[in-house]
Amino acid sequence: MNTTRVLALLGKELLDLRGRPGIFVPGILTGAIAIFMPIFVAVIVPAVTGELLSDSADFQVALDLYRDQPWTRLLDPEAAIQSTLFQQFLILLVLSPVSAAMSLAAHSVIGEKQARSLEPLLATPITTLELLVAKVLGAFLPALALSLVCFAVDVAAAALFARPGVFLALLTPRALGVLFLIGPMASLTALTMAVCVSSRVNDPRSAQQLAVLVVLPLTALLIAQITVGFVVTVPIILLITGVLALVNTGLMRLGVSLFDRETILTRWK
Amino acid sequence: MLAADTLTKTFGARVAVEGVSFDVAAGEIFALVGPNGAGKTTTLRMLAGLIAPSSGTVRFRGEPMAGAAAALRAAIGLLTEAPGLWDRLTVRQNLHVHARLHGLSRPEHAVDMAMDLFGIADRATDIPAVLSKGLRQRVALARTLLHDPAVVLLDEPTSGLDPESASDVRELVVRLRHDRRAVIISTHNLDEVDRLADRVALLNTRLVAVDSPGSLRTRAFGTRVRITLSTAGAEYGAALRATGAGDVREDGRTLSIGLEPDGPPIPALVRALVQAGAGVEAVEREEASLEQVYLRMMKDERP
Repeated sequence: MNTTRVLALLGKELLDLRGRPGIFVPGILTGAIAIFMPIFVAVIVPAVTGELLSDSADFQVALDLYRDQPWTRLLDPEAAIQSTLFQQFLILLVLSPVSAAMSLAAHSVIGEKQARSLEPLLATPITTLELLVAKVLGAFLPALALSLVCFAVDVAAAALFARPGVFLALLTPRALGVLFLIGPMASLTALTMAVCVSSRVNDPRSAQQLAVLVVLPLTALLIAQITVGFVVTVPIILLITGVLALVNTGLMRLGVSLFDRETILTRWK
Repeated sequence: MLAADTLTKTFGARVAVEGVSFDVAAGEIFALVGPNGAGKTTTLRMLAGLIAPSSGTVRFRGEPMAGAAAALRAAIGLLTEAPGLWDRLTVRQNLHVHARLHGLSRPEHAVDMAMDLFGIADRATDIPAVLSKGLRQRVALARTLLHDPAVVLLDEPTSGLDPESASDVRELVVRLRHDRRAVIISTHNLDEVDRLADRVALLNTRLVAVDSPGSLRTRAFGTRVRITLSTAGAEYGAALRATGAGDVREDGRTLSIGLEPDGPPIPALVRALVQAGAGVEAVEREEASLEQVYLRMMKDERP
């Protein structure tokens, strides 16, 4: 793989983004919701109702479940519940970059075709793998940047509004693993899938609809955490990351084999 | 320089191109002409390494390029039918990305050179959307030549351009010939072909004919001379036939005579007319337009 060609096309993708700031609106909205939700539940509602979370029987159950976790052990009951809530919504925060980058990836190949810039691009020596890698990275890197910004705001919000020490729960290996291992890997899976689909369908909406399916397992993880007390521990994070890395490698290979220059050039209108 | 060796391309049951062979030398402008759906663009795409032929081979400098599509793409410049510029990037950025995709060691220098050569340096920071169609085509041509390809393929390079822009593009094409590049141009504009091309291939899935425009005229219509007289020419037809000229057509004051290799030469025809008392006002070679040649040959090709 020729990195110069990958970087050249990646540079083009990033330059192209400057003219489409609206593409980040879904991601920013999802991020804002993920940041606001734990503040609302853990800080605003108790402040408005005057009832502490630790006085609620429902949250007591959650506290019992999470009490022996490293990030809650040293906190008082109210702070422990708050930190648990902030942790739970991290998965939702992971979804924000995916939603931001999805339409970008879905348009990646079909968008070039519609703009009639695909044929000149394919007429260069760029290989299919280089093209797909550049397209995936072109959607992934901005998503990662958005993810970092959302996380920084989340930590700052916890430090400002939650009880002392709660924000430290967002800097534990478990939280960082969710954000910086599962998040990027899930993003890569979604984006690789979207780029692959984008090279097989002649309608970007189809690509987006199919690729958004990757959000489902993450949503299931979020629901499992909230409803059945499933704890995503560091070993589970590493396991999910490893599986996603394998899936991503397979998807990229599949994408290369499915990318049919001839069909794209001659049959797409 | 570049050769098509019995190229055939099928899409499912449909045959797009069948058994097409020709070669193009350095410094030659070779035109591909044919009706819509004749396989011109498909042929160009096979030559450019964009799609693989179903059978047959593309040869570059004598070497078969089967399995070496990326190398072929690196050696050839393809101007696609639409300029296909990235609309959110400036002219300079468009060219710079392509220079890097071609792995040029000094992309900035190559971009500056190309912009100077094509007279677009003053529009370097503009985005394509604000450029005229002619200027966009210039940028696309600059992009095509960034990596200094020995072979340039041009798909409908003047399509949709105003006469001035089209003339500019034609000048650039002539410049490519002077640079000793092999140029293959696909077009519907037969006047353009007549002005530019050293050889023409008439394509209609299969090759109908390949030759210089002049030779194609001779093949389609033979060689004729037109003699304009000061009076009606009908009475002088017999004098011409007496010299051995078999194909004489009379139309008012004009006589059209088909020239045969073993027939009388033009001076003998003029002499016979003068001796018969005709007032000869003008003698000129009669040339069919390339459009007439094209229509005649394509008509003959139809089953």
